[in-house]
Amino acid sequence: MRNRDWSEGEAAGASRADPGHEHEAALIGRIQRGERELFYELIRPYERRVFVIAFTILRNEADAEDAAQDAFLKAFKYLAQFRFESRFSTWLIQVAINEARLRLRKSHLEIMRPIEDQMNEDGSYTPRDFTDWREIPSEALERKEIREKLIAALCSLAQKYREVFVLRDVEHMSIEDTAQALGISAGAVKTRLLRARLMLRDLLSAGLAGIWAGHSQIPKGTKPWS
Amino acid sequence: MVVKCEDVWREISNYIEGDLDPALKRAMEEHFAQCRHCESVREGMRNVIDLYGDKTMFTVPAGFYPRLHGRLADHVEGKRVSRRAWLVSVGVTGALAASALFAAVLDRFVPQPRAQMSQPARRLPQHLVAIVDGGKTFHVPGCPFMHGKYRMVTPEEAIREGYNPCNRCMYEALRSA
Repeated sequence: MRNRDWSEGEAAGASRADPGHEHEAALIGRIQRGERELFYELIRPYERRVFVIAFTILRNEADAEDAAQDAFLKAFKYLAQFRFESRFSTWLIQVAINEARLRLRKSHLEIMRPIEDQMNEDGSYTPRDFTDWREIPSEALERKEIREKLIAALCSLAQKYREVFVLRDVEHMSIEDTAQALGISAGAVKTRLLRARLMLRDLLSAGLAGIWAGHSQIPKGTKPWS
Repeated sequence: MVVKCEDVWREISNYIEGDLDPALKRAMEEHFAQCRHCESVREGMRNVIDLYGDKTMFTVPAGFYPRLHGRLADHVEGKRVSRRAWLVSVGVTGALAASALFAAVLDRFVPQPRAQMSQPARRLPQHLVAIVDGGKTFHVPGCPFMHGKYRMVTPEEAIREGYNPCNRCMYEALRSA
């Protein structure tokens, strides 16, 4: 079940290579010279990612889709100004984050109050729950209610934690790219990531304890929500 | 090196990332072997990362990709027009071109009057008329309103050169037929 191989020094970030960076640069050059249709090929690997980032910030599918569309349109409009000072993916994510934040400010979508993180005076986070939560049933994510609980738990975090967590642990961006996309230091990324992971663990170890027991009723290979 | 639970919690994310110096990593592993709470925190954090990192965790809404590409198409490929709109636009362009051509032909073959305020001839005189180079009207020879050296031409020639009938001596030419 494990997606990462923790045994190899647990250096998960080390394997996050950047495939096709040169191909991407060549594509951008051709688009800038007038082959506009190649824009579809350029953004294809990032279409889902931009939506997920927007959803993480806006916490609403319809708004996230609109924000994602606007982000891609802005990326197309301003691609001529892209100077290869960062990866295209990082630049695109920045555009998407800005678009989603702008929508959030405009529409005042802060309906759900983020949980108060259990911060001590020195800024550290103390775990609240020590439930032994070792086993994950293989079909856990195939169950709609579990996925909904995971999304609800993520949405309950403060925005600054959600953003870092999604870029790093959902979209597997490097610490450096995450820092660049959010305009914060790598140290700040690590601090927020630690707190986000601990808060989610606390939220889920308590909330999902009873759900694991019933997983065997779902036939393997089926998706209840589909 | 001995670490306490608080130290473990502070560094546990870096531990999972593999971003620790070897001595601290070893000390934390020794701590995990003795502390069930911290071991539980470590395993729970790994579960969180595994669950959220799964590619099936977040899915886009149904129809997301066609809607996105449809919205982009207007900007990337330019506005799409229907066949009917295309035919209408071709028709309008053709009509405009035809009228421009007609106007050009008209301009070529219909003489422009030399004096904008004068009236064109409605009936052509049955005799030669007199014109003065640089003048604007044609006359009967001897008309007191004609000044300078004149030459005799047919009414058609005079009109083709832009002359209009004098409203004194060519009164008949200005009347309706």
